Amino acid sequence: MELLVATAIAMMTASGIYLMLRARTYTVVLGLTLLTYAINLFVFCTGRLKTNRPAIIVDGQTDYTDPLPQALVLTAIVISFGMTALLLVLAVRSYFESDGDHVDLVGPEEVVARKR
Amino acid sequence: MNHWMILPILLPAVVAPLLAMSVRHDIVLARIFSVGSTVALLMLGMVSLGIASHGETLTYAVGNWDPPFGIVLVLDRLTALMLVLTSLLGLCVLLYAISGCDNKGQHFHPLFQFQLMGLNGAFLTGDLFNLFVFFEVLLIASYGLMVHGGGGARLRAGIQYIVINLVGSSVFLVALGLIYGVTGTLNMADLAKKLPNIASSDMAILMTGSTLLLVVFAIKSALFPLQFWLPGTYTNTSGTVAALFAIMTKVGVYSIIRVQSVVFNEAGKLPFGVLDWMLPAAAVTLCIGMVGVVAARSLGQQASMMALASIGTLLIAVSASTPQSHSAGLYYMLHSTFAVAALFLIIDMVIIRRSGEGDALTEGGRFKHIGLLGALFFLAAIAVLGMPPLSGFIGKLLVMDSIRGVTGWAWIWALILLTSLLGMIGFSSSGSLVFWKSLSVDWSHDAPQDTKTGLSVVSIGLIVGLLVLLTGFAGPVTTYLDSVAAQLFDPAQYLDAVLKHSNEATP
Amino acid sequence: MSLLLIVLLPLFGAVLPALMIRSGRNDCTIATAAINLLSLGLLLTHVPAVLRGEVVTASWAWLPTLGLNVQFFVDGLGLLFAGMILSIGLLVVVYARFYLGKGEPMGNFFTYLLLFQGAMVGIVLSNNLLLMLIFWELTSLSSFLLIGFWSHTVAGRQGARMALTITGCGGLSLIAGAMLIGQLVGSYEITEILEQGDLIKNSSMYPWILLLVLGGCFTKSAQFPFQFWLPHAMAAPTPVSAYLHSATMVKAGIFLMARLWPVLSGTDSWFYIVATTGLVTMLLGAIVALFQDDLKGLLAYSTISHLGLMTMLLGFATDMAVVACVFHIINHATFKAALFMNAGIIDHEVGSRDLNRLGGLLTLMPTTATIAIVAAASMGGLPPLNGFLSKEMMLEEAAHTSWASQAWVVPLLVTIASVFSFAYSLRYVVHTFFGKVRKDYPKPPHDPPAGLWMPPTVLLILVITIGIFPEALVGNIVRSATSSVTIGQVPEFHLKLWHGMSPAVLMSIVAVSVGALLIAMYKRVRGVWERRSRPSGKAIFDTGIRRLVWLTHNFNDRLHNGSLQRYLFVVITGASFLALLAYVRVGHVPGTREMLPVGAATLAAWALLMAACVIAVVNHRHRLIALITVNVIGLISSLAFVYLSAPDLALTQISVEVVTLILMLLALYFLPDESLIEATKSHRLRDGVLAIVVGLGVGGLAWATMTRDFTTLSDFYIAESIPGGGGANVVNVIIVDFRGFDTFGEIMVLGIAGLTIYALLEGMIHGRMGKKLAQWKPGPPKSPERHPMMMVVATRAMLPFAVMVSVYIFLRGHSLPGGGFIAALIVSIALIMQYMASGFKWAAEQVRFNYHVLLGGGALIAAAIGISSMVMDDAFLTSGYDHFHVPLIGDVELATAMVFDAGVFLTVVGGVMLALANLSNLGRCAAVEEKAGDSSEFNPAMYHPKREGE
Repeated sequence: MELLVATAIAMMTASGIYLMLRARTYTVVLGLTLLTYAINLFVFCTGRLKTNRPAIIVDGQTDYTDPLPQALVLTAIVISFGMTALLLVLAVRSYFESDGDHVDLVGPEEVVARKR
Repeated sequence: MNHWMILPILLPAVVAPLLAMSVRHDIVLARIFSVGSTVALLMLGMVSLGIASHGETLTYAVGNWDPPFGIVLVLDRLTALMLVLTSLLGLCVLLYAISGCDNKGQHFHPLFQFQLMGLNGAFLTGDLFNLFVFFEVLLIASYGLMVHGGGGARLRAGIQYIVINLVGSSVFLVALGLIYGVTGTLNMADLAKKLPNIASSDMAILMTGSTLLLVVFAIKSALFPLQFWLPGTYTNTSGTVAALFAIMTKVGVYSIIRVQSVVFNEAGKLPFGVLDWMLPAAAVTLCIGMVGVVAARSLGQQASMMALASIGTLLIAVSASTPQSHSAGLYYMLHSTFAVAALFLIIDMVIIRRSGEGDALTEGGRFKHIGLLGALFFLAAIAVLGMPPLSGFIGKLLVMDSIRGVTGWAWIWALILLTSLLGMIGFSSSGSLVFWKSLSVDWSHDAPQDTKTGLSVVSIGLIVGLLVLLTGFAGPVTTYLDSVAAQLFDPAQYLDAVLKHSNEATP
Repeated sequence: MSLLLIVLLPLFGAVLPALMIRSGRNDCTIATAAINLLSLGLLLTHVPAVLRGEVVTASWAWLPTLGLNVQFFVDGLGLLFAGMILSIGLLVVVYARFYLGKGEPMGNFFTYLLLFQGAMVGIVLSNNLLLMLIFWELTSLSSFLLIGFWSHTVAGRQGARMALTITGCGGLSLIAGAMLIGQLVGSYEITEILEQGDLIKNSSMYPWILLLVLGGCFTKSAQFPFQFWLPHAMAAPTPVSAYLHSATMVKAGIFLMARLWPVLSGTDSWFYIVATTGLVTMLLGAIVALFQDDLKGLLAYSTISHLGLMTMLLGFATDMAVVACVFHIINHATFKAALFMNAGIIDHEVGSRDLNRLGGLLTLMPTTATIAIVAAASMGGLPPLNGFLSKEMMLEEAAHTSWASQAWVVPLLVTIASVFSFAYSLRYVVHTFFGKVRKDYPKPPHDPPAGLWMPPTVLLILVITIGIFPEALVGNIVRSATSSVTIGQVPEFHLKLWHGMSPAVLMSIVAVSVGALLIAMYKRVRGVWERRSRPSGKAIFDTGIRRLVWLTHNFNDRLHNGSLQRYLFVVITGASFLALLAYVRVGHVPGTREMLPVGAATLAAWALLMAACVIAVVNHRHRLIALITVNVIGLISSLAFVYLSAPDLALTQISVEVVTLILMLLALYFLPDESLIEATKSHRLRDGVLAIVVGLGVGGLAWATMTRDFTTLSDFYIAESIPGGGGANVVNVIIVDFRGFDTFGEIMVLGIAGLTIYALLEGMIHGRMGKKLAQWKPGPPKSPERHPMMMVVATRAMLPFAVMVSVYIFLRGHSLPGGGFIAALIVSIALIMQYMASGFKWAAEQVRFNYHVLLGGGALIAAAIGISSMVMDDAFLTSGYDHFHVPLIGDVELATAMVFDAGVFLTVVGGVMLALANLSNLGRCAAVEEKAGDSSEFNPAMYHPKREGE
């Protein structure tokens, strides 16, 4: 199981980073989202994996999964959601104001626009 | 229960939502609230400085959960210093902002208050994950401020700034995960206590985690090769925000100092990879900064590169990591924060008045208040370049003096001096172009509308005044900073203060 | 105290002229002069003591830890220099009053002048090396302002910058030198340092110290090869030249060499570096001076030559040489200042300083001519003037100094130098005043007003009287100055006009006769000179600077080229490299914890996830597909959370998933839905490699962590959850109680995000952007009708259910999976459905409450409940709870933590809706105009990557 999770994390990180290194804002946002999934899973894993042991107190049960990383990941998810939303809207507005959605300060569209 | 300790975080956290929900339509009211809260923060900072100066480390367990289980706020000399620095800078910048630019977009004041909240939180917290949270608070607030007012280039730069910092946040989380994964704790003091008896088999993970942690802080403080976000951001945002951002890089530096002092102190000494890299990296940062100062094509760009260079000098001192060098570094930090801020504000005034060319380093006509601004620019340039009589000179001497023990100090001396020559060349040419050459050319454009000096000049004057005080009272200031450094190099006291309860629990 | 005042008066008095100018030029001048006079008077009070051989000191602590303190002292040397600076300063002030034109900002001028004066006095009186450095740099800065005073002229600006760069450079090397000395001696107090001569000379650092200090002195005193800045500094108004470039600033270097003479001189390296440099400078200066046509240029090079002379004398390092040097310092100051003022007069009254346009002025300007003749005679070294005396002494010293055991070198070169110096002095007079009167003077020449000729005349009186009664007038001051340079041992000497026949006299005779000859046949000499090409210091300097700027441009533009892809690549690479390094340094140890078994379903999910990742990467340019696959990945990971006993995470992940999806769809409505291939193959390969490496790294770390056991705080949370937090759902209790402060920050983040997004969109809908937006035509319509009936009905019916569900989720949150955040997202989703289905207008009418209020109110509630505990003097966010029975829902336990959670709920709804609602509103703003459909100026389709590709 651990191996599967680890490979999954690896795969998501890799594809996330690859997308992030692309030239268009939208793709970069997608990449960041992927990366966030990977990182959240990663942090979650540092509490070690357990099945059917949710950290909800039941009388008589003593063995629970580690709740702390879950709490941390919850916070992380929320925060990264806020960031993603902000970045997206910024991307939209910047697409309108500067004439393109390239991530470089001077993208090809600007070059075109400047030429005109 | 010393509740005032949490107020530096709570006050802006309450004022900001108020501003957002109720008074957002009346800019004047918003300004009053904003200034009021910032002034209050300054007073709070003063109080904490006064109390911390006795050398006692105060703690505040949020939610009454004793550390390491709950989140703890810690106030020692360094924290108090940072609180004062933040609120002082904040006040000066705010005074400048309310002379016009806070009206260029929505929600300047709430974002500003949130920014202060995030900063104060980062300085106060004693818990690594909580530090992460406050990093995010101050970052997202800074995103809002960075793109305040809009404009194509600014938004593009904003996107870059955000993306790079999001990567930083991810790294932060990975680091925290690794550290938690082997130590099972997030509280700095507890971590320090646990480090010595970590199984050697877990060391590799711990090392990686702590390295990544410092990498994050290095990104925040724009240390080479992680400095890329800085020039674009500072150059393309408004002068006001850039001035406020003078403190942003210092958060990274603060975190480096803090973690180094509390967590990776003698007790849990690690074969620390990153610190070996820090000195050369800082040196390179200084170089590329000053080279940029010469290469700059606009005053704003020049100021940004100068900010980068100052970070280099600061981190050179920090990486020497002796009490003396820390004290010197802190002095330089105080100085450079204010000096760079002043520079950005002055340039902003130029941009407003030099309607045609803005701050571009091209020939232009004379503009309003050219004499006044020229004089101010001259002063600010002297300050940032570390020339007498302003505090920069003293800071530079202190730093040079403090790194004498370090291997290769001679090279660093040479570097510091030669780069400041570069800076001199850069600023003298840009200044003479904008403020002298323009004198001979008449108005090339119609005068822009809102060019009232007044508050803006007052705020800049305030900062310059602070620099003068920093120079005149260099003696007392350095005495305090020495005590700060001494406290940093005696972490036992910090650990005891934080873990006193759990010590009682488990003797 | 009075010592301090001598320095501070001019420095702080500098503000006075800038103010007094408002009440007229005369008052301004008087104020300046008064300040100057005052500090001169204060200085004179110390004369008796100093002549008695005492040293007056004064000291205050400033920055003891660094060794930088406010320490002043006045001895012979200091007195001599300070006296010169202040007295000549006074004359210059008077002179400047009449020299500066009506239109010129005299206030600024005098302000700069006083600043400079204070700094200069500071240098010569300070008893602390670091303090001296401060004043040293101040002179560079203030002279920058003075040289650039006529900032409208190119020459002024360039001259100022060149001067600043060169002298500033010297200042920096001086800083290093000074700090080395301080490091060696353990103190920066000059009087202490002067006693450590042997320590310094014998230390291994000595060569460095010497070079660095001399670097400062030579640049300041325009010694070869740094001499070229001085002639260009002549762009300054003449009073400045008279002050800075004859009497004071350029002598600062000489002063420092004299000051540190006891600790640095006496070694071979000192002799060969200092004496040789002096000699060369003296010679070159004299030769070049002869061929200058600009009067001030001539004087500038002559100054360089004389400075070389003084340097050479100090280099000889004999006591008698020092005497000669000190004496010559005085004399040079007098006649050179007079000459500069004279040149200024000519420029002022004739309108030109060009020797080719002058001549025959003797009869037209008799007074001026007299001044020029006497002063020039002194400069050329004719008896009975003071220039002659010190020159004789110099020649005397030179006569018996052997260089590299070659007795003839120094005397010969020195004689040549004095030949030329007599020649240019003669030329100054002859080519200006003699010859026939011309018709074409730029202005009708006439003698100047008294204000202009008085000051130089005062100096001339000194020139003559010192020449005739040297011993009586300056004997003592020269002695005491010498004694403070040589520490005590002053040779027996008697300043007098005639020492009897000696080699020196012969050399002078040669100089005079050959010099006269050169002028007689000047044309031919000039011809010879013109034929040879000469390297120009300025040209070299300028090309140097230009190269530097070019280089920095290249470097900076390549480094910070504004490409996010590059930045990210470097940052990620750097971070992973360091991490890898750290890991490898310690070395990997495999973990021992046994793994969980894997079921078929899990395997399938895993495979699906991997596949989805591949699809997302491959199709990333088809944005919709990429978006959907990314969401699939998100769903799978939330399944993983369910399976791995993290129900809260799963719920949160899913709800965030949905909201994000909506958000991204809305965004995609505006953005182009495909992107081009823009990266080259190698580029993509590079990225791919990095991505894989990092992926493996992170995955590996995860694996390494998961496969080993550890102890954690969590047992505490599990134990305390119900007794302490009053909730069975530990995760939720941690969030709202144990680590509630994190959540407090977290909702702030969300709130800020909402505000920022609102600000961004708001700025987009109104103003300039609004117009642009209105004219924007969306791509092909994504659905045939704008508000499909089915969807409208469905969503409206859905709303109440959604609300109920969310209430339920919210209430059970504390004991079962759920909580404020998830509940909030559910409500938000339901709400945004209304917007999307029924349009913004309708929804906005239905929704009565303002999202700003929700957002702010939520945050305030969260804060308030936290503060409420503070009222009972518990810490912020301390929780309390109790159980209540609510019909239908059952036994519900109400904790203050739940109020906090309610705050979370409201903030999240507010934030999310602020974002989503306004984004959909944006769509409306664009879409409404779409019918009116005119798009004249702006047509984003042009930048639509698809089209652009064609």
